[in-house]
Amino acid sequence: MNGSYWSKVFTIAKDEWRYWLRSKLAISVLTVGLLLTLSSVIVTAINTHQLAEARASLQHDAEHRFAEQPDRHPHRMVHYGHYAFRTPSPLSMLDPGVDSYTGNSIFLEGHRQNSAMFADHRQGTALTSLGSLSPAFIVQVLAPLLLLLIGYSSISRERESKTLTFILSQGTSFFTVLQGKGLALLSVVGLIMLPMLGSGVIAVSQGESIAIVSSFFVGYAVYLLIWVLLILVLSSVFSKNSDSFTTLAFSWILLCIVMPRIASSTAANTVPAAGKLETDFAVLAELRQLGDGHNSADPAFAKLKASLLAQYDVATIEELPVNFKGIVAGASEAKLTSVLNRFAEQRMANELAQTEVSRGFGWLSPMVAIRSFSMITANTGIEIHHRFMRETETLRFDFVQALNKLHAEKLSYQDDANRGKSLKDARKARVSAENWRVLNAFKFQGDSANIRLSRSVMATLQLLIWAFGLCVLIRIIGKRVQ
Amino acid sequence: MKYFLNQISREWKFLLAQKYIVVLLLCTLLTSGFAVFSGLQEVKQQNTTIERLIEADRLDREQAQTKHANVGSLAYYSFHLTYEPPSDLAFAALGERDIYPWKHRIKMLALEGQIYESDAQNAELAKSGKIDFVFVVSALSPLLIILLFHDLFAHERSNGRFDLLVTAARSTFSLWGIRSLVRFLSVLLCLMIPFWIGAWYSGVGVGISLVVTLLCVVYLAFWMALSLWLGNKGSNAPSIASRLIGFWVVVAFIIPILGDLAIKHQVESPKGGDIVLTLREAVNDAWDIPKRVTMRAFVATHPQWKEHVAVERMFEWKWYYAFQQVGDQKAGRLSRAYQDAAQTKYDYAGYVSWLSPPLLLQRKLTRLANTDAIAAFNYEKGIRQFHSELRAFYYPWLFTSEKFTKEALVDLPVFQPVSQRALKKSSQLIENKVTK
Repeated sequence: MNGSYWSKVFTIAKDEWRYWLRSKLAISVLTVGLLLTLSSVIVTAINTHQLAEARASLQHDAEHRFAEQPDRHPHRMVHYGHYAFRTPSPLSMLDPGVDSYTGNSIFLEGHRQNSAMFADHRQGTALTSLGSLSPAFIVQVLAPLLLLLIGYSSISRERESKTLTFILSQGTSFFTVLQGKGLALLSVVGLIMLPMLGSGVIAVSQGESIAIVSSFFVGYAVYLLIWVLLILVLSSVFSKNSDSFTTLAFSWILLCIVMPRIASSTAANTVPAAGKLETDFAVLAELRQLGDGHNSADPAFAKLKASLLAQYDVATIEELPVNFKGIVAGASEAKLTSVLNRFAEQRMANELAQTEVSRGFGWLSPMVAIRSFSMITANTGIEIHHRFMRETETLRFDFVQALNKLHAEKLSYQDDANRGKSLKDARKARVSAENWRVLNAFKFQGDSANIRLSRSVMATLQLLIWAFGLCVLIRIIGKRVQ
Repeated sequence: MKYFLNQISREWKFLLAQKYIVVLLLCTLLTSGFAVFSGLQEVKQQNTTIERLIEADRLDREQAQTKHANVGSLAYYSFHLTYEPPSDLAFAALGERDIYPWKHRIKMLALEGQIYESDAQNAELAKSGKIDFVFVVSALSPLLIILLFHDLFAHERSNGRFDLLVTAARSTFSLWGIRSLVRFLSVLLCLMIPFWIGAWYSGVGVGISLVVTLLCVVYLAFWMALSLWLGNKGSNAPSIASRLIGFWVVVAFIIPILGDLAIKHQVESPKGGDIVLTLREAVNDAWDIPKRVTMRAFVATHPQWKEHVAVERMFEWKWYYAFQQVGDQKAGRLSRAYQDAAQTKYDYAGYVSWLSPPLLLQRKLTRLANTDAIAAFNYEKGIRQFHSELRAFYYPWLFTSEKFTKEALVDLPVFQPVSQRALKKSSQLIENKVTK
């Protein structure tokens, strides 16, 4: 392949552009496409920025408020609790993912694992049930439509008007024509993705890994390449414009509109998930065996008592150098948490299994493949919700146990036991407010670049196989026509 | 008549001879069938979940009731299940049930801290949305209609048969009318047959099925008329279809998205987090402030207990529940504003949906199936009402010196789903009328 070969390809691409610029339909499609991506990029970027600011300041407030609490009994602080907020990842400017579908704040307190609250969608208008103004949606669903609206006739038009035979008789191979037309469509892909690059640069400046951002863009480029190839294939196999149009439109409906929903319905039906409510019953049943951590006389703690007495070589709990009530609170919290975590992990594994089923449909529809790829890379998929739940659980457990440690070490058993007798005794059973600095500052970080890349392997493969298969097909068609 | 039947059978054969139309219709039938099937599955899952939950809830509460003798701790440890079962029509319109909760457990503590907890479904699946009959009809069928009708004239024009057909036919209707009718009926049947089977299977009343069918017919007829009208104006089939699909994109995506942005911008809503934060501060402060301050605030809304609010010991259950109540009162204003904002947003969205036929149909059908946001709001109101019934049951035992015995528990309120409450009411009304 030499220079003159490529100049032929360029000429064909240029001709295609000339054709588009003369056609009212193509011009309006191009304008609408550009406007849509541009506005979605801007709106989503502003939105994400506001969310990030708001949640960071709420997080700061929550930490401040906790530290400001007056002298108290440490267990009061266990129930006072703390809030954690999920700050959006940098790339959620391009794909907000599940952000508005899962709660983004969580109340952390002793003895309980709460679920995340206040999903934005519960305050929604139900208007965006078909699509939202996120760059991800625009590029995943609408961009293929725009491409097919301007590209369906790229080959069939030449065939219908018999110009194809003319071009071929001049010594240009059919494959060259395909490449030229493909190049023209790819330049449109570039135009559509151009506004997204801006957000990509911002994401990098916010500390997102360059490898991730570039693979995010490569993924979308491959996805749109798949559509370009599909358009070329279907445009070449039909001799009539109307046929190639109908087939392409039908493929788009199937791959972009129907399949994604079939995927999630199948996932929900084949892997039934018991909700948190249902597992909570099982949790409760198991917890009843553990004993109530508020009541150190609960027979469930007899063994703990015996071992402590033996360890310090004393006869009664009053003689212990530590506050037995605090020890019991800590021990029961630890046991309870391990039960809660076991059920939480089960629930997450179950949700992940559901999601895997839905993502498997990426073999059947490149739209499903890019959707999972995009959410995984942007740190906005279901995994990130799980990570948030796990991280906040660690935060919860740490501060509760730190308070229980205070309870055991800074408060004498006598004072603690007498605190219900009078106001004066209650005041004695307190620790000073300086101790509330046990709380660690919380800043939610998503999964690392490596984890995300390895997680996205299946979706990447799905995309690559689609692209590869269509390339082979193009090659075959290209040879056949010659 | 015979002429008419002949025409129909001719057009029917003509339709079957066109392979791509047959493929299209077959896909419609399959998609609609799958949507109805998976909708039925989903509803079945929801129903069995509710059955399991009711049983588990009963056992759990019985255990709490045996374990605790004191009315204060009995109330503290007793959970109560609330739920809203899917309606008969829910299989066709799953609606917002994967976003709003339809099952919830509450207890006697401050309600504002509990009611916003949600037992959400898989967020990634909720985001991509499930396929149900409503989706197939509202979003998908316009595209199918476009594909079927845009080239009705253009197809014959490009084949050069147009003039011949027009001159040979007895009237415009006998040619284009019957051809359209045959296509329309076949796509309608492919869409509706699975629905009718599903409706029969899940016991939807004939009246409601007819209403749904009528709505779908009107909706599909709108898209057919639009396709035919635009189709008659042009001769290039793909460019007609492009325009139609463009129109579909505008009404299905663009208008709703813009409407959503505008409404969110327009309607001020308190942050949900502030509700629970206010409650937390109120409830926690109650431990530190003098008890009579709390009791005064309590009596302000519950004057009937004003003789019984003296707290002598360091801890008394009536004081504990009083400060829970006062906490709810303090967070109440924010919470009402939050609910109102949600309601207002949904109402405004109703106006926007008049510009978007797909969403209009969705709203109508989810309303019929009681699976929309309004159903969720009503469910939330039902929970609130039940919670106040619980309080009304426990307060006399907590505030008066009358000795609580477990026999009293037979009067413990039992949650009635909102939809069944309405049923009960209407059947009671009928009974009353009959007995009168």
